[in-house]
Amino acid sequence: MMNRRFAFDTAKLIVATVIGLVVVFPLYYIFAGAFYKIGEFTAYPPTLFPDSFQLGNFIRALRDTLLIRFMGNSLLVASVGSVLRMTIAVLCAFPMAFLRFKGKNLLFFLVLGTMMLPSDALIIENYLTISRLGLVDTYFAIISIYLLAPVQMFMLRQAFKTIPQTYREAAAIDGCGDFRFLTLIVLPMAKPIVLTLTLQSFVTIWNTYLWPLLVTNDPAMRTVQVGITMLGFAESLDYGPTFAAIALILLPSLSIFLIFRKKIVEGIAAGAIVG
Amino acid sequence: MRTKKRMDFLLLGFVLLVLTPGLMFSAGVKQSAPTGKASGPVEVVFWHSSSGLAGEAMTNLVGRFNTTIGTEQNIVVKEVFQGKAADVATKLRASLQAERPQDLPDLAQLDATGVMDVRDSTYLVTISSLAGMDPAYDLSRLEPGALLSITYKGQLIGMPFNASTIVFYYNKDAFEEVGLDPDKPPRTLSELASYAGKLLKKSADGKTVLRYGFAGVPTTYELVSWIGQQNGVSYLTDKANGHDGNPTRVVFDTEGTMARFLSEWRRVWQSGGLGNLTADVRQEFAAGRVAMYAASTSGLSTLLSSVGDRFKVGVGYLPRVDEASKGGVNIGGGALFAFANGNDLGKSATWEFLKFLMNAQSQFEWHKSTGYFPVNLDTYGLPEFKVHLQENPLFEVAINQLRDSDPRVQSVWWPNSYQAYYEIQNRIIEMLEKNASVDQTVESLAAVLNKYMADFNRMNKE
Amino acid sequence: MPGRIRLRQALKPYAYFIPALLVAYLFSYRPFLKTLANSVSLVNYSGRILEFVGLENYRGLFADKNFQTSLINTFRFTALFVPIDVVFCLVCALLVYRKRRFNALNETLFILPMAVAMTSAAIAFRALFNPTIGVINHLLGIQIQWFNDPAWAMTTIVVLSVWMALGFDFLLLLAALRSVPRQLVESAQLEGAGRGSIFLRIQLPLISPTLLFIVTTRIRDGMLLSGPVLVMTEGGPFRSTQTLIYQMYIEGFKSGNYSMGSAISVVVFVLTFTMILLAFRIERKGVFYQ
Repeated sequence: MMNRRFAFDTAKLIVATVIGLVVVFPLYYIFAGAFYKIGEFTAYPPTLFPDSFQLGNFIRALRDTLLIRFMGNSLLVASVGSVLRMTIAVLCAFPMAFLRFKGKNLLFFLVLGTMMLPSDALIIENYLTISRLGLVDTYFAIISIYLLAPVQMFMLRQAFKTIPQTYREAAAIDGCGDFRFLTLIVLPMAKPIVLTLTLQSFVTIWNTYLWPLLVTNDPAMRTVQVGITMLGFAESLDYGPTFAAIALILLPSLSIFLIFRKKIVEGIAAGAIVG
Repeated sequence: MRTKKRMDFLLLGFVLLVLTPGLMFSAGVKQSAPTGKASGPVEVVFWHSSSGLAGEAMTNLVGRFNTTIGTEQNIVVKEVFQGKAADVATKLRASLQAERPQDLPDLAQLDATGVMDVRDSTYLVTISSLAGMDPAYDLSRLEPGALLSITYKGQLIGMPFNASTIVFYYNKDAFEEVGLDPDKPPRTLSELASYAGKLLKKSADGKTVLRYGFAGVPTTYELVSWIGQQNGVSYLTDKANGHDGNPTRVVFDTEGTMARFLSEWRRVWQSGGLGNLTADVRQEFAAGRVAMYAASTSGLSTLLSSVGDRFKVGVGYLPRVDEASKGGVNIGGGALFAFANGNDLGKSATWEFLKFLMNAQSQFEWHKSTGYFPVNLDTYGLPEFKVHLQENPLFEVAINQLRDSDPRVQSVWWPNSYQAYYEIQNRIIEMLEKNASVDQTVESLAAVLNKYMADFNRMNKE
Repeated sequence: MPGRIRLRQALKPYAYFIPALLVAYLFSYRPFLKTLANSVSLVNYSGRILEFVGLENYRGLFADKNFQTSLINTFRFTALFVPIDVVFCLVCALLVYRKRRFNALNETLFILPMAVAMTSAAIAFRALFNPTIGVINHLLGIQIQWFNDPAWAMTTIVVLSVWMALGFDFLLLLAALRSVPRQLVESAQLEGAGRGSIFLRIQLPLISPTLLFIVTTRIRDGMLLSGPVLVMTEGGPFRSTQTLIYQMYIEGFKSGNYSMGSAISVVVFVLTFTMILLAFRIERKGVFYQ
């Protein structure tokens, strides 16, 4: 009995590891490719491990673009953007979960409904709005269309709903208003999910491409995603500098996931949609 | 204790929120410094789409201008890489639509598709008008075909900076392998058909193609030459391919030029050696899995560097449709467009920079690192250019082909160029793979392209 | 003044929505209404409305062969992407949801794609799928022209999209599986239920709300697919990867035909909305809430 179970678990582990390795293979390839010389990309059969850890590609990537500046921009935009985005989502999720008022469902659908409006389709109209407000080349322009996160609002509401209503009543008796109840009790209790969703927002904003490309004209205002397309070397099969740049910009987001993995898993668990 | 910590956290969050508006709305660097005052240098903002080798060449040119003429005349050119040519066009269109000229650059590099976005704009400053204000400048020292390629209703609307033509690339080693003369690329499509059949290589079981004779699916880019070179000079549409105004209908159907081309193209297909590839053709060629293809001269430097010493590359004239088609090829590529954006009033600083880019020496450097043609005729007289051609005879073939072409063969400026691109490819494939008749194909192609033009003209009356 | 205080109390819940509604109005509803207006009008190249034409644009759209292609491609993508994504993520989650040694490592491997930007991933996948120098053809010992064969190009988009979606969906399912009460599973085991029947009768019903959530959001993503198409295939070869939003982009952005582009946007909106409503109908009937 014990043995069969052990064998089953081992089989599961092996399958999981194989799948896991396949899944991270593209990531491995990016980091390996960052060290390839041009010949290693065009070699047949394809190279799987770099000849040497030469840094030429990194040097070219850093020299040909303002990669450090781009990373700084992305860092600023993604961190401030994700905090603002979470603030707005929390403000919506709180009354949805705790307060009773007329038109609650309507407001819920008004906010959630934005999830079905294709942002790609609205991009030119949104550009016109930003442009007419004279906000081209500002950090606000880059985050503007990401301020609303209906899916995250939905998940927060689910998480808030697990907090018993009685807490609120007890808090009210202690003279604690709704806003203080939210900041002093609800948020600390929902910390894992709030943290996770903030991180997810961070990555989302860090990763956007078309919109920042459109609303920034000044190279000093660009984000990393726009930056990597500047290395047009891929045309000549010389993916090296491009891969080096991708590897560099991957480092921050990868570290976040590696460092906060446990917290992220807990956080998602807290917001899990299980009725 | 814990509450205090929480309060700190809240306070931090609050401070962050209060601080952000100031931070968020301030642009990183002020883009358009007030000009007109004699004090600071005039800044010329230049959007371009040159990346990789061309990008490095562009940076070098701008740097040299800023340290020489720029320093003397108090001009600073600020180059901004704005993505692919299509991205530059999208950004320009967005600024033009929002009617925010202050967001426009002083100068922008666009390709033929982007011309549609700017040619009728009130903010466009034509090169004709800039050159008109500088009587000392002689436009006739520039390549006539290149000038015509960017002329709209008789006005030179942009400066032909990165000019290129289509050219024929082939693998000399493969030619030798199958007993073809490596110095004699095919001259006509019917020769191409027979070469393609010979160069085709299949695996032992006959199932996998190891090497295509020729690869590519013709579309707008190839057809402006293959249609254009027939009957002296021909066009795809009326209004001289849209250079005299918005085109209203195709003419390749009534003039019989498309039918002529398609019948020849079907012979290439029937040779069995044609691969209908649309992606990575250059890479497949470099890997030795395609023996011949046709593409822009601008890819020559890059191609040579990716082939390395794997095999010898040959460059030839684009095969003619038939012996009678003598018009040659058109000049494509990109041009530089100037805009009235409230900065550099009168565009005199921008014009200085343009003149620098177009001078014989700059054009030589640009050509050397990219494969684009020198547009300045004086470049051809430079002694170092002659040395360069001797060392790189492949470039000479492309230049000779241009010399032998009729400058009136022109690229096409039509709306829906993306749609047209796919329609032409799709219908050619349909004809080849489903064995549709030539007449049917011409008819359906004409119908769909005419509809695109009619729709556009209905929405945009001139 | 109790009346005023009561009024303030009554208005308070709405105040929380002000920022969200402001953003929703400015960057979602207002541009959407303009899109709606464009779709029933003639709009010129510079985006100005010329005249009202009723449903003419829509009639033109439904008669357009390219639109039919886009429609089929979009459904084809969604029909491949959503089930593959759900099944794959569910398998991954089932493999590692029990806290065992090494499972944390695999958990990390599965969520790492979340950290990668679509543009970066697309560049890497383009290299991996390259027919000659790409690792995929080489390792699998096949000769597929991934980006030249209309039958295969969509596969590359599906693979990239599943890879991009993997991390988040895996995490959601992992959390859901872990929140299934232990006692339920254990008592079923004591009664001699096999693994299959435990999964079907206990775990699956309990994680069904999560599954519904994933299916709904991914249907939306599928219907709105454009990014990977834009970066990897540009709709080709021969329009075989041209999706609705990509066609919208070509018509609206690249060809200056805002009437058609807007009409496509509206059709996409209606389709997505209907499919999500359907999903919610199924929720009422089949999804099990504790």
